[in-house]
Amino acid sequence: MTEELSIALQNKLSEANIEGKILNLVPLTGGASKEIWKFEVQDTDEIKQYILRKGSGIEGPLAIKTSDEALLQQEVKKINAPVPEIVAVSSLDEELGDSYIMKFVEGESIPRKVLRDNEYKDALPLLAFQCGESIAKIHEVEVNNLHYLQEKTPMDQLNELYSTYESFNQPSPIFEYTYLWLKDQDFGDIKASLVHGDFRLGNIIVSNSGLESIIDWELAHIGNPLQDLGWICGNSWRFGQNEKVVGGFGDLEDLLKGYNSISKFEVNENLVRTWQVFGTFRWGVICLIQAAAHLNGSVNSIEKAAIGRRVSETEIDIADLLFLGGK
Amino acid sequence: MIFDKPNSVDLLEAISHFLNTKIKSEVPAHLAFKIRIVENVLNIVKREIEHGDELSNEIMVQLQNLIEDDSPTIDALALLIKDEKIDLEDQDLQNILVKLSKNKIAVDNPNYSTYKKLLD
Repeated sequence: MTEELSIALQNKLSEANIEGKILNLVPLTGGASKEIWKFEVQDTDEIKQYILRKGSGIEGPLAIKTSDEALLQQEVKKINAPVPEIVAVSSLDEELGDSYIMKFVEGESIPRKVLRDNEYKDALPLLAFQCGESIAKIHEVEVNNLHYLQEKTPMDQLNELYSTYESFNQPSPIFEYTYLWLKDQDFGDIKASLVHGDFRLGNIIVSNSGLESIIDWELAHIGNPLQDLGWICGNSWRFGQNEKVVGGFGDLEDLLKGYNSISKFEVNENLVRTWQVFGTFRWGVICLIQAAAHLNGSVNSIEKAAIGRRVSETEIDIADLLFLGGK
Repeated sequence: MIFDKPNSVDLLEAISHFLNTKIKSEVPAHLAFKIRIVENVLNIVKREIEHGDELSNEIMVQLQNLIEDDSPTIDALALLIKDEKIDLEDQDLQNILVKLSKNKIAVDNPNYSTYKKLLD
């Protein structure tokens, strides 16, 4: 399988005028939905490192095509937000399938390593501000160029999540409560913009000087941008570092300082809290979607089966936020 | 139970031990990551066998009082909330929702940070 992949990669890279021998093609620990491979290309005297990100061709209901992720990253690159440079894009009907190749970015994406390895300890105090800045930059991308993304208002999204949840016929009293609660909230009157949709540790590359690159754009859409701020505050993305509200490494104040240093819309903490509940509900529904893919037989995957039992993490987080004064 | 020892929990523990001591160190990193997931799943099954009935019964007893039904279900509670046939500000309702979320996570992931925080 690796050999076939290697040939397909070689052919694709030739189209982009990158010639050389492919070495050390290895799968990386990626998300539950994509294959990620790292490899090197040896030209006469130089070795360059690349990443292949490959979709299965079957996206979840909230995800975009992998090849569209590449187009999007190219747009984001234009405004100098930190994203890896795309070198080649392949569509589903090509040999390489729905995928793209990007330059490898030095650093770490595995959350627990970023949070615990000594190498990143000087970067962590800077990271919340940097994330705020980067999120604000993403939100400045010109949306008229992004025809492959859907535009959704907060209520569109909420109703979409709720009907997805309902379709699985596994009633959750807490999710029913959350839906009613969210329907009553003010989400902030702010211009629709590009939303990354999954901005958190795991989807950013961190070096010892901080944020290097934003990856994994599969949940991108156009909508209320504040959800990116609420999302990274969700407890699911603190990786056990409960007291550090932003991604397990930072404080909300620093995230907002970074965001407000670029954004024209001044964001306050209450709005972020509302979006945090929204994000937690959204993650719960995404867990249901992943588990359903296993349960309905479309894939047999231990990760997807296991994720069905993570829905309860989002339920206890919501119970804590709504009833017990959790942050 | 008519079955001999080892019982189901003993068997699950034997699998976990085997994966942890004999397999994890022998496979490449991306598979070792999956084996950690497998171990987590085995532990969920083990906790559900050991504590599942008790944790479910606790909720059902509280639910009987709340919705005055002798054989209440989680589905029925969800429907009452959905149709707003129950006061959403009711303290007993909110207490049950908290208790339900705690009892579920006690099986699914008792190391989850919010659960540990709420136990303190």
